[in-house]
Amino acid sequence: MKALIKEFTKGIIRENPTFVLVLGLCPTLAVSVTVANGIGMGIAATFVLLGSSVIVSLVKDFIPGRIRIPCYIVIIATFVTIAEMSMKAYSPVLDRALGIYVPLIVVNCIVLGRAEAFACKNSMASSFFDGLGMGLGFTLALILISGIREFLGSGQLLGHTLIKGFEPIFVFGMPSGALLVIGLLLGFFNFLKNRKR
Amino acid sequence: MRDNLIVSGSPHIHKKASISRIMWTVVLSTIPAGIAGVIIFGWDALWIILVATIAAVSTEWAFESITRHKVTILDGSAVITGILLAYNLPPGVPLWLPAVGAVFSIIVGKAVFGGLGQNIFNPALVGRVFLMASWPKYMTTFPKPFNYDAVTSATPLAMLKEGKIPGHIPYLDLFLGNRGGCIGEVCILALLIGAAILLIKGYITWHIPLTYIFTTALLTYIFGAKQLFQGDWLFHILSGGLILGAFFMATDYVATPLTPKGQVIFGIGCGLITAVIRLWGGYPEGVSYAILMMNAATPFIDRYTRNRIYGT
Amino acid sequence: MNIQEFLTIFISAVFIYNVILSRFLGLCSFIAISKETKPALAMSFAVLFVITMSSIITWLVYRFMLLPFNLTYLRTISFILVIATFVQLVEMVVRKSSLQLYRAFGIYLPLITVNCAVLGVAVLNIDMFFANGKQLAGSFYYSIFQGICVGLGYTLAMLLMSGIRERLELCDIPRSLKDFPLAFIIAAILSLSFMGFSGFKFY
Repeated sequence: MKALIKEFTKGIIRENPTFVLVLGLCPTLAVSVTVANGIGMGIAATFVLLGSSVIVSLVKDFIPGRIRIPCYIVIIATFVTIAEMSMKAYSPVLDRALGIYVPLIVVNCIVLGRAEAFACKNSMASSFFDGLGMGLGFTLALILISGIREFLGSGQLLGHTLIKGFEPIFVFGMPSGALLVIGLLLGFFNFLKNRKR
Repeated sequence: MRDNLIVSGSPHIHKKASISRIMWTVVLSTIPAGIAGVIIFGWDALWIILVATIAAVSTEWAFESITRHKVTILDGSAVITGILLAYNLPPGVPLWLPAVGAVFSIIVGKAVFGGLGQNIFNPALVGRVFLMASWPKYMTTFPKPFNYDAVTSATPLAMLKEGKIPGHIPYLDLFLGNRGGCIGEVCILALLIGAAILLIKGYITWHIPLTYIFTTALLTYIFGAKQLFQGDWLFHILSGGLILGAFFMATDYVATPLTPKGQVIFGIGCGLITAVIRLWGGYPEGVSYAILMMNAATPFIDRYTRNRIYGT
Repeated sequence: MNIQEFLTIFISAVFIYNVILSRFLGLCSFIAISKETKPALAMSFAVLFVITMSSIITWLVYRFMLLPFNLTYLRTISFILVIATFVQLVEMVVRKSSLQLYRAFGIYLPLITVNCAVLGVAVLNIDMFFANGKQLAGSFYYSIFQGICVGLGYTLAMLLMSGIRERLELCDIPRSLKDFPLAFIIAAILSLSFMGFSGFKFY
């Protein structure tokens, strides 16, 4: 049980997919304009990650090695399609906000990366917790980045104005601001890492 | 300063120029434009220039102290960044704007690359486009010249973009600065005086400014009106930030090509992009973006215009 | 189908909504491979080729297989399968025909399958050039052209970035910012600069 907890927690800090493994950046930067979008994407990605990790770990012995990547992709794509359709049905606003980045979860390096690096070599239980941890780490990273961007870029958080009279810095809502935030955050985390040594 | 980049055996020829001397002379050459800006737009302009400069120098001092580097604020480069940033701002902006812009210029435009001599982009322009994207309302509100109350007017280029041909502005007004615009860009006369100082001292060469201005003039002449070859190129040269950009920012030693051939390419590229944005883009002025894009291309230009080493 | 539409697609795809600097598609490969010019160029050509071909094939699949049979919800799965298969085929062909070319491109080809840009453009083409289950006029040609332009935009960003990063090898960058963080900051400045072309209008 302790081992499973370890698999879960590593995805949050030690091997955070966004800040440590530097994976899956495309959707991270694109959707992190508001915290609401960030959380929405995080949940969708976690769902896909969980589903695909579990299935891959279950069928790993039945897939021939040479075609394993296309097989993983089909499995992932199935879950993404489920997520896509659910989102269109239950929350079309979110679907419109996330746009093309929902189908792009298929090629999100985190999902495929975990399938290839972990799920195909580990048990279902480990894969489940690994997927959960990674998904949570990804969602937390999204919340951090979109929190910064939403607050600085529009003066609001989750749609509520925090400080009256704050002049929003529009650039943070733009692609350039996203790249700036992630560059500075990565630099900051590197700085913390270097200090530890 | 180019001498620092030559790695060869002795004997060397020594010139009086050092980095500080060059930078402070550039500062000197910008003073006429600053004085003109203050005369035309009032004391507000002076405060903006001072805030930007002090913020730039303080930021550089703070960054270098915290990271335990040698403090180089006396070399004048931070001062130049502050001044040029201020010259690119409208005169009516709230004072926190140039301060934030200057901090951004120094940190993101210069410090993260390793400081002087290593920046890829012109720091003042990095700050300007940041400010433009962040607070577009403040960056596009221009007070009327010689009117010290807050009456605003559109700049000549903005009028052109909206389709109102500003034929009624006499060229002399454009030349002397009797028009809306940014602090340091409006008085062409003052800018040319400063540019002359730099050219005479040999701190800048004619390659970039001439090719830049010429290319922009040529393209606006050909495409600037309903029929071909009817464009008002003189208007375009005298409006916006072209003269300021061509002589003071596109000639930044570090962010531009090393060889004359490369500089000509750089100048043409800047002119091309500026003209394209002015003629067909959404923004009325494209000088800052043009120079930054060509800054990005400079490593490539340098690579392919390298001087052949004698003997190879 | 008019020339203005083509010009707009070109300016949008290459500058204003540059695939990497604005849409963030292909960012992973961009940050990882843009350190040196040679690999950057190799990757760019491979990407350009794959994006163009996949634009064509996915459009055809959507138009003639998914639409008529009301299977549009299978878009994601079918597109990614098409792309993965195509890349696999290309890899096999290249390996058989020219070992030299394979060594130059080979390692990048499998990476392109998961390059967001390829799937992204395929989806974008459908979103932009189909409406209400019917194709818009000139949709096929616009899609191909958009694919090419996106590839060109990718190449432009890669070339600029690799030139800059190569030059920065000689510079005194603060330790925490080395590699990735600085690459993102440079991309941020490039993104800001490219914004200069927004609002483009041809008369």
